[in-house]
Order: sequence, then structure tokens, then C-alpha cells
Amino acid sequence: MLLFRSEETVEKWCATHQLPKRPLINIDQIWALANEWYANRLTVESRRPKPNEMAKIFERIGLTESFWDPKSDKF
Amino acid sequence: MESVTPIKLAIYDTFAKTAKAPTVAEIAAKLKLPVVDVQSAFDELHQQRLLVPEPGDATRIRMAPPFSGIGTPFRVTVRGKIYFAPCAWDAYGIAAALHKDVVIDTKDGHTGEPMKLEVKKGKPVPLPYVVHIAVPAAKWWEDIIYT
Repeated sequence: MLLFRSEETVEKWCATHQLPKRPLINIDQIWALANEWYANRLTVESRRPKPNEMAKIFERIGLTESFWDPKSDKF
Repeated sequence: MESVTPIKLAIYDTFAKTAKAPTVAEIAAKLKLPVVDVQSAFDELHQQRLLVPEPGDATRIRMAPPFSGIGTPFRVTVRGKIYFAPCAWDAYGIAAALHKDVVIDTKDGHTGEPMKLEVKKGKPVPLPYVVHIAVPAAKWWEDIIYT
């Protein structure tokens, strides 16, 4: 997982490493993910979301491609 | 061991207060518990995907997301204290977990050019940057250190 200044540098990185370009995440989305995962991480009830919960989180913040299916491995 | 919860809390409390990863021995001493029980709890927390042991040394923590036990390209400054995060998601995650504003010094994944992210008044400063994950979600934990 890497941060890039622009989509252009993502494409150059993918070409350099001969890896497919995946769906991009913008700053608002990564902030939303950070809060969903970690806002209560220092508390008694904290835990990692389960796959069905992850799927709902991804859908809620607009990450809807099959890439985000936590149960899929067809890539 | 009845519950791993006290050990989980002690790990995260140590990270939050010191910005450093505690070892099994340090948590055992802090909680006055047998080392073998704390090691079992570390292993259980790994199974729960709440920590990742140092490769080759299960008594040490490589990461307890959002915190990293080693230096990384995501340096998170919170009121003068410096934390490290495994990735951009977790760098913002430190702000979320601590409920604090942060400055994140990092670099472009391709060019290495320095970049800065910030959380001010509880919100990220808007920037046109993007995150790219090479591995699909279903495979993140096959090698979470690479992911």
C-alpha cells in the first residue's frame, strides 16, 4: 500500500513493477477507512472488522469494485 | 488465560504513550503475568489480526495496526511525539486512534519525493493525493507486511 502524488505516478510505479493498476483511494476515503478501523482501537471492545462488516464499510465509502470484496480471491 | 483483553490494552497503551512496541517480557512485567501466558495472548492477537509479530521472533511486535514497531516511510508527529505507521491508512489511523491532530511526513511511492499529510481540527487537510494497494482485499493478510 503506497501513497502517490498523482494518478500519473501510480501508473509509472505499476509499469516499473509490472503490476496491474488497482482502484485508487482518495484522501477522504482513506481517512474514512482509518476511522472505521481505528477510532476505538485503544478500547476494550476494539477488534478488526469481520469480512461482512468490511464489505459494508467499503460500500458505504464508495469502494465498490470487486477488488474490495474481502471474500473474493479471483484476481 | 481467561482473556487477551488486558494484554491487548497494555500493548496499545504502551504504543500510545511511548510510540514504541512492547515485548512479551515487558508486558508480562507490567501486568505481573507469566511470560508464557503473555506469549499465548500475543499469538491469539496475531490470529485476531490485531498484531503482527516480528518475523523470526514472536516475542516482539512488528506492527499492532495502526502502530508500527519499526521505522517506516510514514512518520506521524503528534504534539512533538513521533510514531511510525505501516502505511497511509494506518498513518491516518494513528490520528483516529489517539483522537489527535497529526502531521504525517512521507514520500511519493514512485518518485520518493517528500510529501506531507495533516489532520487539523479532526479532519484531513484536503489534498489530491491517492493511495494504491497492489493486493486485493481478500489477500491482504497473506503477507500483511508486503501489503
